[in-house]
Amino acid sequence: MKTNSVDWINNIINQKEVVNFPLMTNSGIELIGKKVIDAVTNGEVHYEAVKILAEKYPSIASSVIMDLTVESESFGAEISFTDNDMPNVIGRLVKDEASIDALQIPDINTGRMPEYIKANKLISENVNKPIFAGCTGPFSFAGRLYGITEFMMGMYINPDEVKKLLDKCTDFIIKYCNALKAAGSNGVVVAEPVAGLLSNDACKEFSSVYVKRIVEEVQDDSFAVFLHNCGNKGQCTEAMVYTGAMGYHFGNEIDMVQALKDCPSDVLVMGNIDPVGILKLDIPDEVYNETMDLLNRTSEYPNFVMSSGCDTPPRIPFENIDKYFQAVIDYNKKL
Amino acid sequence: MIDLKILFDAIVEGKLEPAVEVTKEAIKEKIDPQILISDYMIKAMEEIGQRFEDGKAYVPELLMSARAMKGSLELIKPLLTGKKSATIGKVVIGTVYGDLHEIGKNLVASMLEGCGFEVVNLGTNISADQFVDAVKKEHADILCLSALLTTTMVYMKVVIDKLKEENMRDKVKVMVGGAPLNEAFARKIGADCYCDNANDSVARAREMVAGA
Repeated sequence: MKTNSVDWINNIINQKEVVNFPLMTNSGIELIGKKVIDAVTNGEVHYEAVKILAEKYPSIASSVIMDLTVESESFGAEISFTDNDMPNVIGRLVKDEASIDALQIPDINTGRMPEYIKANKLISENVNKPIFAGCTGPFSFAGRLYGITEFMMGMYINPDEVKKLLDKCTDFIIKYCNALKAAGSNGVVVAEPVAGLLSNDACKEFSSVYVKRIVEEVQDDSFAVFLHNCGNKGQCTEAMVYTGAMGYHFGNEIDMVQALKDCPSDVLVMGNIDPVGILKLDIPDEVYNETMDLLNRTSEYPNFVMSSGCDTPPRIPFENIDKYFQAVIDYNKKL
Repeated sequence: MIDLKILFDAIVEGKLEPAVEVTKEAIKEKIDPQILISDYMIKAMEEIGQRFEDGKAYVPELLMSARAMKGSLELIKPLLTGKKSATIGKVVIGTVYGDLHEIGKNLVASMLEGCGFEVVNLGTNISADQFVDAVKKEHADILCLSALLTTTMVYMKVVIDKLKEENMRDKVKVMVGGAPLNEAFARKIGADCYCDNANDSVARAREMVAGA
């Protein structure tokens, strides 16, 4: 659906009720009786999974699968697939400056990219909620191509080489985001979990500078960038905010109230119910209690958006999902 | 006489070249290798570990320190051949069957190796038989099991049960880690300890080897 992102965000901030925006797609795949591998390789299955979730649950917007392999696959990385878990990058595609120099920025129609763009287009055309696409953040993306351990040491040993790869990854992400925007998406969640392992200064130099470039290139009134960093324990929130994104999405490692204090009041601040420890493994009553507790703790912040701390995993009990949504409904009734 | 504080500082600051240079000088001056390890290298890794715990250093800094220590240790190792102190202990590490994730497992392997452990990294998607065979073959002190998925973490118990079947359970300590795990899960499956980050794994591995 078409919407003005700035107005949409301002409405959320100005309304009394807390809105709910979990990053949840696996449950939709299960609801339509398909496997993860079907959804990550077929845009129509992906769309059907998102659509059924949009119809079943009162989330404020829809999101797509957080698949951190799509971009790497387009560059030529080897990907492993299993039926019911997310794909994974195997090995290292680049190992030195020569291989980085030789790396060609691929066409946007390479690998599974067209299926993801198709899913976003179908959701945009047929689901009556804003749709937030997804892409891998530059640091997490480059780390997958280079090897995360080696990439983090490369920041010290050969920063120019590392930055050359970050540049190429960023250029490609911008192309991808523009294609997602053209497909009708209302914004994108840039998933940058690995940058959460860095200090604020390193996060800024090796991640935020590049995310800022993406923001400057693709964010406008019709397309919002939300930066997701579930590794941040609070040390690099300032670096995240430096990017100028319209929203920040945090994981369960962070103190959500502190994150709200550290972010501007005119952007959305989303998080952070533990997707595994609480949503998947806890009992329904505890899911309800934890969600209500987070709502109470964040009550002073109108820009808070209830969410999962990351993309929720497969096989979450539906009773738990119901309790998670019910807590937000009950909280809003009391306002 | 060489200033060995340079070795300590180089490792804390994650600088390989000065760490290697000063180690070469120390070898020339016939300084006891055990003093280099105990009084400077391990102390430097403890210092960077403490900085990590205090939020003053992060994973890349840990990795750089481990790299500097490993560089120095490689020079010293030949001088320690045959002595018990050639390594702190031997570790077999891998990601369990069905799981191809390796970021966390490789971080832990690098840190353990940098901190003086001999590490046999089996890779990903490792079966219980492969783990047990490696523990037997390598005479490992510690077996580290990693998993990122809630669907594969349960396989850790299969590995531990296999160790019991083979009468190996009391011969090796089992450490587990990975994003969906916690202490309670580790206890439930019968692991000796759970580690929630790479630095923690080094500290716990040291404790386990010391207590073995």
